[in-house]
Amino acid sequence: MSDVSDVSGVSEARSSPQPVTGATDDGVVLSVRDLVAVFDGGRRRPPVQAVRSISFDLHRGERLGLVGESGSGKSATALAILGLLDPPGRVLGGTVMLNGRDLRTLGDRAMQKIRGKEISLVYQDPMSALDPVKTIGYQLIEVIRAHDHSISRAAARRRAAELLTDVDVSQADRRLDDYPHQYSGGMRQRVMIAVALANNPDVIVADEPTTALDVTTQAQVLSLLDRLATDRGSAILLITHNLGVVAGFCDSVRVMYAGRLVEGASTRALFKLRAHPYSDALLRSAPRADRIISGPLPAIPGAPPDLAALGPGCAFEPRCPVGHGRELCRTTAPPVHTLPDPAGGERHTECHFAEEQIELAAAS
Amino acid sequence: MTTTPPASQDAADAEVRPILEVEGLTKEFGTSSSSGRWSLGKRTAGPPLVAVDDVSFTVARGETLGIVGESGCGKSTLVRAVLRLLEPTSGTIRFDGIDVRALDAEQLRHLRQRIQIVFQDPYGSLDPRMSALQIVREPLDVHAVADASERDGRAARMLELVGVPASQHRRRPHAFSGGQRQRIGIARAAVLNPELVFLDEPVSALDVSIQAQVLNLLSSLREELGLSYVFIVHDLAVAEYFCDRVLVLYRGAVMESAPSKSLFKAPLHPYTASLLSAVPVPDPEVAQRRRRLVLPGQVTPRAAGATGCRFRERCPVGHGREVCRTTDPELIVTEVGHQVACHFPGEILAENRSLVGEEA
Repeated sequence: MSDVSDVSGVSEARSSPQPVTGATDDGVVLSVRDLVAVFDGGRRRPPVQAVRSISFDLHRGERLGLVGESGSGKSATALAILGLLDPPGRVLGGTVMLNGRDLRTLGDRAMQKIRGKEISLVYQDPMSALDPVKTIGYQLIEVIRAHDHSISRAAARRRAAELLTDVDVSQADRRLDDYPHQYSGGMRQRVMIAVALANNPDVIVADEPTTALDVTTQAQVLSLLDRLATDRGSAILLITHNLGVVAGFCDSVRVMYAGRLVEGASTRALFKLRAHPYSDALLRSAPRADRIISGPLPAIPGAPPDLAALGPGCAFEPRCPVGHGRELCRTTAPPVHTLPDPAGGERHTECHFAEEQIELAAAS
Repeated sequence: MTTTPPASQDAADAEVRPILEVEGLTKEFGTSSSSGRWSLGKRTAGPPLVAVDDVSFTVARGETLGIVGESGCGKSTLVRAVLRLLEPTSGTIRFDGIDVRALDAEQLRHLRQRIQIVFQDPYGSLDPRMSALQIVREPLDVHAVADASERDGRAARMLELVGVPASQHRRRPHAFSGGQRQRIGIARAAVLNPELVFLDEPVSALDVSIQAQVLNLLSSLREELGLSYVFIVHDLAVAEYFCDRVLVLYRGAVMESAPSKSLFKAPLHPYTASLLSAVPVPDPEVAQRRRRLVLPGQVTPRAAGATGCRFRERCPVGHGREVCRTTDPELIVTEVGHQVACHFPGEILAENRSLVGEEA
């Protein structure tokens, strides 16, 4: 599947305008193809199909948003990419090419070397990723020395203090001796960002990095992440449920529903017009700070499907304003429609009635 | 009300009287005067921490009051103090004219039929061993409302009203999705026919598409059952949409209070303006165009006896100004229904015309 949707290279230097022809394209740093992941359900229960054959490319320096609700498979995607999907989760197929190497063929030891160095993860909940009984300094030094065995403890400590200073923690040298609970939520997340960026990775996977934070802290953390990634030339795969965060942060977007990437486009094109009924409904259903909505919210009826019992048709059909009840949607999985992206390249949508949806969206 | 005959003057008063009046409510932690059970215990060094500082507000019948602020601003403590789940340090609380702080335990229990609360985490607040029907029936049993034989029917009707079909009433909480569990929590709060319901972040843990369903449900219940709400929320877009009036709390005190339409269109307090400007807007063009006021630092508790404006360290307007350092600004009324605690109200607006984005 061709899946390219970039901002034209003229205005945005960090995106590649070229269509992707294969993993060898030099603008692409991470290329995921036909990735399938499941969670085994135990005896006699069918597996939960968390990620159902997805493909996308992340370009050098790009900010790509992966948007979806809980259970859509976005976190499973992140863990599968990093080789961190633990049982009962399993990757069943597909390739994850990072800098031209398929991460899925590498062993645990090789992956450990790559994680933190070429690709790293920022978690939603920094408290769960930090050890509560070790100081922040100890944990930072551990990470630095894991990837650079020749560095002395003293030099590693100096480097750790620099990292904290980079992420705007004041009096960094003193705060190295504090424990995680002595840091606020926003500061802990900044430490996690410091850890993730310590070795200038090519790719940062940020899984809901600001979901647990207040809006003011969220703004601080996002601008910090953007600044540091820009300095280091790192690309970011930002996993979020918040379309507002995507609008302010990302160059392009993939919308995930029931394990599929149902729509992909440049951020500008997607927010201008949704070519998939789910993306459209999702955007409309939330109150917005920038406009006044009166009357009931246009909620999406029902709930996401059971991923262990999916039918043959479109997974969104039961809730879909366009396709609900239509024979084709109930019986046949939708093909990928490719359209030109006004921002350059192509956009795609998985919908039988994409033209109808586009007309509806354009009319409203 | 002028047409009301004198004989029913009491009833007329009850109609215009706010359902809830809170005056000068203060809750300190770490003082000897606060109830030992709830205080921070061994904390002896330093002055007490003021979690809620001289807060006053009213809720009219049928009104929805939003309380917004960052974590640590005191919104949850405020609600717990109003409900006397935490004993306030000082202040008065009147519910429908009744002095809540003067009530004994039995009277308080009785009053709680009329005041209910819906929690953020519907899973943590529902007993996992009980069926949906038992959960909603329980408050009727506790308060001995209606004949025992009628209670199942009443609980079942309430569950159906909130959108849990009869075929699911025997299921336990784990068998429901997050959105359905929150519907059960709402049914449990509404089954006693309360007059006032506190909603403590009721949709924060829910997905966007489900959040809209639950907000729509809450707003139809407000109409059908004539409820008044106090809505604790950190999402300003939700507050603007759902609330008639909004109270902005910072370090335990009210910074600004106004009808939501005017608060969001023209915030007078720099804190409100900063909060609004930090809300992500789902439109890349607006996101690029608008000016963001990124606040440095975070909320820290305020010690009793501290002087000056509590927001000054982070304030884009008052930082470094003498009066802000020395004098705690009082809440002043700028127009009917709009109050602000700032020495330089509105100055933030003059400098930043497009904080939220599009002009209305």
